[in-house]
Amino acid sequence: MIELNELTSAAQKAFPADKLSPDRDASWELMAEMGWLMIRVPEEDGGLGLGREASTAIHYEMGRVLSRAPLIPAQLGLQAIVLSKTLADRADWIERICGGEYVPLHMRAARLTPGDDGALSGTISGVLEADMAGAVVASLPHGYAIVPLDAEGVSLNERPVWDPSRRMFDLVLDGYRPDPALDLAEVKSAPGLHDALAPEAHLAIAADCLGGAAAALEMTVEYMTMRKQFDRPIAMFQALKHRAADMKTRIVVAEALMWSYVHDEDVDIIEFGSMKTLAGETYQYVTEEMIQLHGGIGLTEEHQSHLFMKRAMLNPHFAGEPDLWKERMGREALAAMR
Amino acid sequence: MTENADLEALRGEVRSFLEAEKPHGWRDASRTQEDFVKTQRDWFAKLVKAGYAIPHWPKEYPGGGRSLAEQKVIYEELAKADCPRLLLSFVSTYHAFATLHECASEEQKAKYMPRILEGETWCQGFSEPGAGSDLAALKCKAVREVRDGKEVYVVNGQKVWSTMAQFADMCLLLVRTSSEGAKQAGITYLLMDMKTPGVSVSPIHQIQGDEEFSEIFLDNVEIPVEQRVGEEGKGWAVAQATLASERGLTLMELGYRMRGALGRVAELIRTHGHEEDRGVLRDFGTLVTEVDAVCAIADRFLDNRIKGVERIGDASIVKNAYSRALRAYSKLGLRLGGMAEQYVAPITFGDLNTGNWMADFMNSYAWTIAGGSEEVQRNIIAERMLEMPREPKSWVV
Repeated sequence: MIELNELTSAAQKAFPADKLSPDRDASWELMAEMGWLMIRVPEEDGGLGLGREASTAIHYEMGRVLSRAPLIPAQLGLQAIVLSKTLADRADWIERICGGEYVPLHMRAARLTPGDDGALSGTISGVLEADMAGAVVASLPHGYAIVPLDAEGVSLNERPVWDPSRRMFDLVLDGYRPDPALDLAEVKSAPGLHDALAPEAHLAIAADCLGGAAAALEMTVEYMTMRKQFDRPIAMFQALKHRAADMKTRIVVAEALMWSYVHDEDVDIIEFGSMKTLAGETYQYVTEEMIQLHGGIGLTEEHQSHLFMKRAMLNPHFAGEPDLWKERMGREALAAMR
Repeated sequence: MTENADLEALRGEVRSFLEAEKPHGWRDASRTQEDFVKTQRDWFAKLVKAGYAIPHWPKEYPGGGRSLAEQKVIYEELAKADCPRLLLSFVSTYHAFATLHECASEEQKAKYMPRILEGETWCQGFSEPGAGSDLAALKCKAVREVRDGKEVYVVNGQKVWSTMAQFADMCLLLVRTSSEGAKQAGITYLLMDMKTPGVSVSPIHQIQGDEEFSEIFLDNVEIPVEQRVGEEGKGWAVAQATLASERGLTLMELGYRMRGALGRVAELIRTHGHEEDRGVLRDFGTLVTEVDAVCAIADRFLDNRIKGVERIGDASIVKNAYSRALRAYSKLGLRLGGMAEQYVAPITFGDLNTGNWMADFMNSYAWTIAGGSEEVQRNIIAERMLEMPREPKSWVV
């Protein structure tokens, strides 16, 4: 527990709350320096060997400051490599990534078609900050593999998103021939790798959402306390303060579910995906209210409300659509309640 | 580790007790209020005997002296086994107990505590028609007089929303002994025998057909001065002890019970052939996650209490989260049940998740209104957790 508090306060010191969306490359360097890239790498692989609790706490803090540095896809890409049993120079990759090389996992599904000669064509979408990556961990038809961005038949296509705290790319393959030396898992062990990564992705995104929601609420309460109309702070009006109370309630409840899953070994992927969905919808609700409660200023680019709202609208679409998880949860629960 | 081992041992004991003694078919045996009261009395007596009825009492009492962690284990198992909730004895074992234990004289404790274990039930005479969320505005008047050589309070007034007062032996009564100064300062706390002349009770017919609450009318009721708890005019502080008596176990228990009762929604989905309806599956999935989250927050709240790191407002969050989920639960059932739910069907007393969806829906309001309305909880969250300014006190026309 002390360890966790230390991590949190170090994060808050390095990324102060009053500097929202700090410079991406400087943040990235700082993160590497603080060892955040290696926190989930086992000690025998040269990492810090910390658990889900630690990474969740950090992603929460990075959500609070709308961090631009892509710690989530970096952690997932690295975890895929750590879990690989087939990658030729695994130790070397781990060392380089822990040192700051960026090899992200893509956060959306890949649509690829293999040609007759084994070459791949198609799109792998949801690659964050790919301009700073040297390679990407991708789910290919034959299994997970590292795809170097300088390989023949590989190109990037930036897809500008509304959220200014993130840059998103499609990885476009056009006759790309995978190098067997870069395979992480073959098809038959790929589901295992996917199932190991998915809960990590859901936890990380949920933490980003709830950290952001908490910061958005704090800013909203501060504004409501300061803003005066009819000779009093608008926070005094019950019609408005009750909305802040509901924002708080929903955040705290979603956080409770997230933290209970961090510590629970028996939670399945569908539950994780549903938890992420709840966290994502909580973030959306809170930022929607944030803009409304700020009034006109909330609609200006100069004010920061829109940064939270845009990130909240984007986040839930990573690692499986909300509707997918809701349906799967319903199906699973129905089957279990016979 | 040993602590966990002890808890697991306790869990095992409770489970084997429940396997042997758990009442079956109690819902069918609770179709009328009288039958419900009977099942409640029987189950309470069994739990007293087994030592699981009053785990929060001091260890001088049989079955008492349990830590909050142990209480949590007991309540978890009772909920998971779908036993009847102890409703009839709730006020006596929690509110009356806390009041007696923390504020009453030794004579009062010695007189009333053992009687609670024998099955004597209590009700709460707090709310009045003009004093709901603003409880301190209560008007029920008590005048101190000497009658037949004895000092008594002569009480006149009306109380409302007293849970199961029609079956109660005793009442925790708040009265006004002075109208001067702050409204809290003139309140006195009395213990009233419900059989005292001048007390009449009239059950409130609720919209779902239940009669869980009553009105109490007091007409020149003489209550001996020895029946006062604390000093005259200091009843407000005693009332805080009464109201703080519930330690968060109820909402955890109710959360687990709602999770168990999700099977009733699943049953509806199958009965109506919605197994492949993706919209319905999504709505059900959303509800399942919401209920899981309510269980998680109720659990976390209790764990924080056990660790002593509870914050003001935490309880309000749990209550609002639970009551909202309960409303959503019953509304989904009502929707999926369709027209069939609009035909009147028998209700079950003393349960919130009965599968009579209209009744469950109407019953769910009890949780957004009673025990501090949803709106009062929002004020607590906003003003005491988020530190937003209070509304100005005075109201000028």
